[in-house]
Amino acid sequence: MFEGERIALLGRSGAGKSTLLAIANGSLRSEQGEVRWCGASIRSMPRRKRREIGMLWQDLLLVEELSVGQNVNSGALGRHNLIWGLANLLFNVDQSACKHCLQRAGLDADLIERGLIDAPIRQLSGGQRQRVALARLLRQQPQLILADEPIANLDPAIASDLLDHLLNRSPEGQLNCGAKAIVISLHQPELVHRFDRVIGLQEGELVMDQPADQLTPADLSRLYEAG
Amino acid sequence: MNRPKPAAPLLTLLPAMALVPVLIVTWTGLHGGGLSIWQQFLSGALHPSLDPDVLHAVWHGLGVTMATALLSWSLSLLFGVLLGSVCADVVWRSWSLPIWPATGLRRGLAIPRAVHELVWGLLLLQVFGLHPYVAVAAIAIPYSALVARIWRDHLDSADHRPLEALISAGVHPLSALMTALNPGMGAVLMSYGGYRLECALRSATLLGVFGLGGLGTELQLTLQSLQFRELWTGLWVLAAVMLLLEQLLRLWRKRSGVGVHGQRRMLLFGTLAIVLGVIGTFWLRLIVPDQFSGLSWIGLEVPSWTQLNLAATELPWYPMILETLGLTVLAAGIAIGLPPVALLLWPSPRWHQCCSIFWACMRWIPPPLMVLLLLLSNRPSLAIGALAIGLHNSGVMGRLLLEGLQQQSGQRQDALRAIGSSERISWLYGLLSPQSPSYLAYGAYRSDVILRETVVVGVIGGSGLGWQLLESLSSFHWAAVVLVLCCYCALTISGEALSDRCRSLWLQS
Amino acid sequence: MTNPLTRVRKKGAVVLLALLCSQGATVLPANAQATLRIGAIPDQNPERLNRRYGQLASELSDSLKVPVRYVPVSNYPAAVSAFRTGSLDLVWFGGLTGIQARLQTPGAQVLAQRAIDAKFNSVFIANTSAGLQPIRSIDGLKSLKGKRFTFGSESSTSGRLMPQHFLAQAGVTPKQFAGGQAGFSGSHDATIALVQSGSYQAGAVSEPVWNVAVKNGKVDPSKVKVIWKTPPFGNYHWVVRPNLDQRFGKGFTTKLQKAILGLTPANERQKTILELFAAKRFISAQDSQYQPIEEVGRQLGKIR
Repeated sequence: MFEGERIALLGRSGAGKSTLLAIANGSLRSEQGEVRWCGASIRSMPRRKRREIGMLWQDLLLVEELSVGQNVNSGALGRHNLIWGLANLLFNVDQSACKHCLQRAGLDADLIERGLIDAPIRQLSGGQRQRVALARLLRQQPQLILADEPIANLDPAIASDLLDHLLNRSPEGQLNCGAKAIVISLHQPELVHRFDRVIGLQEGELVMDQPADQLTPADLSRLYEAG
Repeated sequence: MNRPKPAAPLLTLLPAMALVPVLIVTWTGLHGGGLSIWQQFLSGALHPSLDPDVLHAVWHGLGVTMATALLSWSLSLLFGVLLGSVCADVVWRSWSLPIWPATGLRRGLAIPRAVHELVWGLLLLQVFGLHPYVAVAAIAIPYSALVARIWRDHLDSADHRPLEALISAGVHPLSALMTALNPGMGAVLMSYGGYRLECALRSATLLGVFGLGGLGTELQLTLQSLQFRELWTGLWVLAAVMLLLEQLLRLWRKRSGVGVHGQRRMLLFGTLAIVLGVIGTFWLRLIVPDQFSGLSWIGLEVPSWTQLNLAATELPWYPMILETLGLTVLAAGIAIGLPPVALLLWPSPRWHQCCSIFWACMRWIPPPLMVLLLLLSNRPSLAIGALAIGLHNSGVMGRLLLEGLQQQSGQRQDALRAIGSSERISWLYGLLSPQSPSYLAYGAYRSDVILRETVVVGVIGGSGLGWQLLESLSSFHWAAVVLVLCCYCALTISGEALSDRCRSLWLQS
Repeated sequence: MTNPLTRVRKKGAVVLLALLCSQGATVLPANAQATLRIGAIPDQNPERLNRRYGQLASELSDSLKVPVRYVPVSNYPAAVSAFRTGSLDLVWFGGLTGIQARLQTPGAQVLAQRAIDAKFNSVFIANTSAGLQPIRSIDGLKSLKGKRFTFGSESSTSGRLMPQHFLAQAGVTPKQFAGGQAGFSGSHDATIALVQSGSYQAGAVSEPVWNVAVKNGKVDPSKVKVIWKTPPFGNYHWVVRPNLDQRFGKGFTTKLQKAILGLTPANERQKTILELFAAKRFISAQDSQYQPIEEVGRQLGKIR
């Protein structure tokens, strides 16, 4: 994986995309092989390094009982000490940073001003939750972003908007979201043109790994039909 | 053909089967010989004694009881939460440590839980003498272990994925636990913790053993001498306090908060619990000043191996254990099964209100009084004991059930009613069904309590563990006491293993 | 932030504080001087116990010039343990509990008893519907076999220990009662009530308690009657801890004994105390008087 690279992870349901991402993230242990990040094995990596890897989970994993602001701030817990973590539970800490991240995640500025930060998570719609999770990811300021089907349950307009936030590059070639590299698993082969590289999985096996612009529709249909 | 597997709501109704044999035995033994005493008892309710001496004694007793309850409640919450967190698998896993110490500690905690607070009181009295803190410790020890179990179970059964997500993002485990699990546990702490205060009050009342002159001493002695008018003075005061407490707790629960508010409320609750504990301490010092003469250890001869062996051959093991098990199973069946059956009979708000009042009465009447009242119009039998403990605990279970049901939205019930199901069926499927797993979990904890409470009705006579324990204690036969307590521990541990197994078998997946 | 809840909480705090203060006001201030703590086994109603020992405490306090406090205890073994651990200095014990206490507390002495305690009796009572005839000799107790029978409290001398002993002499064990066991009503009054109701067909109670119940009209003679009166045995007595002379000055135990034995009906308060004890005078007692009870206690496993 290279700096600035955007990778799409494709495969049918159950092909092992989520598993691969969880292994890459270190929350699952692989039976063979090893995941390395900046030269260090992910299992033995100190916490300081681990916070460089951010994950956007398929079911978001927001804490339902907390407010939007507290959830967004929980992305930054890795960078702060315990006292800050406790303060986050009792006060609205770093509101401006929170609002900034929510805005970057594409939430309506109006809505944010009207006290979205204090709203409980369970009052939000599906799309809004997705964005709060994204804002949390941005708040973490990770070097590597792993996203597990971030747009599976979204309507096409919101989905493309969300991908914009993650994938768009500045004219200098930097990713707008601040990460150095990004891996996203998808169910929408029609979107692969927005990526640099495509990895295909089939029943846990790697069956395809090529630049996105060399991909043919035949390759894709093979990936989704065979087996 | 697949085996029939009872669904959760059915499992909540099935224990009510215990009522059948109990009621048959009670019905055949019914007689009217005690009517005149019942009459005296009931007329005492209308004319409680207002003698200044009695009022003064009750007022003083109330102070001691409240102070003891507050302090022991506060301590049990504090230690319960700490111990519960230490013996939760998820906490050890967060630090990527092996979980066997948690498992070991959990098993160990069954021991303080297996012994009734009355017995803890008598045991501590042996080595510390009469001291207010002995009463406090007698309640705080088993209650801490009980709170620890509930806390641990909730921690381990909560959704751990947000926690794992935070940990994999490099968050400090403690910080991650506080952020991901703490908010959910807040609700548990506040509803369960509040409920524990009521339990602590009941226990402090039951414990009149400590020479503190608590309300329990008044109730027990007036009951023993059948001074019903004086008894009612104490009972009415107890009722007033329980009602007040319940209303305060309801007011507190009504306003649930999320986000920052929720967390602040939780902090406030924790602070309040500690402050109330401190108040309890000073209160006790104020009421019984000359009994705070330093806590000193007074040794007791530990029974030798040969004494233990001798006692083991003397004890009637089979009838003792069988009777206790029978009593526990029947009483637990009544306690768990009666509330849902009663509510199902007629699912209307008015009837449910009636039930709620009935259950409040059941919680209010101390088990020894209930036993005596039942015994006055019935022949002595195991069924009487089971009925007394079962009814008393059904009051507790009924309250938990109603509270859980009230917290549900009722949309499912409406949906079922909309497709034409009868009132009962829509209540059963729409309201009881989602509530069943947690109700059954509380039922399992309650069975623990019931096993311990068999000590209280030991007086019905017989060969049960409870009676044997009281008899051995009153003969100062320590070898037998040790053996009976071991037996209680073994029963508690196996009961817990069984209920865990059942839960994983029936309630999950 | 002044939502209604905070207001309620503040009110609650005020109420709590007021309660605390009023609680404190009902109690005398703490005293630094050593206090003589007297106690008793709980064999009466609490009101009577409080009056009896409250009066006695003030009387002893006046005559001995030391603070005396009555500490109520609500069960028999707890009184024994409290005495052993030094939480109670002077206790009015029953026959069995007194022996248990003295065996567990080396050096403890018997101070006094009442005249009736030297020759105490229990009575066996029966519900009239049980068809039990008055018993002439001890062998007649055999007729109780197969009946529902209840004792009083487990540690009671007159409600359990001696009745069980006499039953054993007649060859009746608790296993031979209906249900294979005897009940334990918890107190003499409860035994009377339960036998009168018919739940138990027969029971054993202390004779003085029975007489008081008859006098107060609490007994329906058509439903419950005495079928046998036991031979006499020793019962209640004052027991005192061995270390009082060290704590209160030389000769204190003797002074205490004199004070108790010196209670006379001539003095108004002392008369009330003696009436509450249902005694004319306290008389001195010897350890040896309780030897038979100790033997019975050992036979029946109540003394180890």
